[in-house]
Amino acid sequence: MIKIYVTSVPVQDQEKALQFYTEKLGFIKKTDVPVGEYRWLTLVSPNEQNGVELLLEPMAFTPAREYQKALKEAGIPWTSFMVDDLKKEYERLKALGVQFIMEPKEVGPTMIAVLDDTCGNNIQLAEML
Amino acid sequence: MNTPKKTFYEQEVERISREHGLPQHYYAYVRQSKAFMERHYGDKIELDKIASAAFMSRFHYIRVFQQVYGLTPRQYLRDLRIARAKELLKKGHSVTSVCFNVGYESLPTFSKVFKRGTGYSPKAYQDLNISNRE
Repeated sequence: MIKIYVTSVPVQDQEKALQFYTEKLGFIKKTDVPVGEYRWLTLVSPNEQNGVELLLEPMAFTPAREYQKALKEAGIPWTSFMVDDLKKEYERLKALGVQFIMEPKEVGPTMIAVLDDTCGNNIQLAEML
Repeated sequence: MNTPKKTFYEQEVERISREHGLPQHYYAYVRQSKAFMERHYGDKIELDKIASAAFMSRFHYIRVFQQVYGLTPRQYLRDLRIARAKELLKKGHSVTSVCFNVGYESLPTFSKVFKRGTGYSPKAYQDLNISNRE
């Protein structure tokens, strides 16, 4: 049986990303394996620690940097994370100094907002209403 | 004070929502029915009852729910029950009590649906998560 076990966000600095994604967003570090000058560094959700892992992937490939930059400038999120209560999460993150480039907005059956992960990406938070 | 300029993404989200969104009251009705399922997933839920609470015929309700959430109400309820069952199994509740707690009336049906949704039988899922405590 095939299954999705990892997905990734490209980051400019793995250590900085680890701090942002754990200390601000609230993920938990799962694996941290040295791979040459980089690390195989994955995170999980606190309540799904056996679930899909998020790889903080180093930006070693130049064309990928161009793609990341283009998405960032257009405000397009690299990926989207689900939260239970977006307005509450938005207030919590704002209090921690996280910058939002799109305030919470109701779109069809969801409420969405977009934040800057400080590592080169826009990240969308979504709540199913 | 100047309002910050909207990104391309935000403008597109607004445009698509404006041009292709469903009428607002549809969202309100199906959201209400979804909330009903979230409150009563442990009970026997009749689809006709939810549909009439959303002021729609059964057929129309299923179609609109699917347009909004991408799943039929029945699939949504099944996923909701499996998600709740996973939480209860992780807390150590017995498979039988979890089965009835999440609205199934038959243990074989619950086990079959759970296995199809997670890849594990309820017992195997519990053993895996209890031996690998989070």
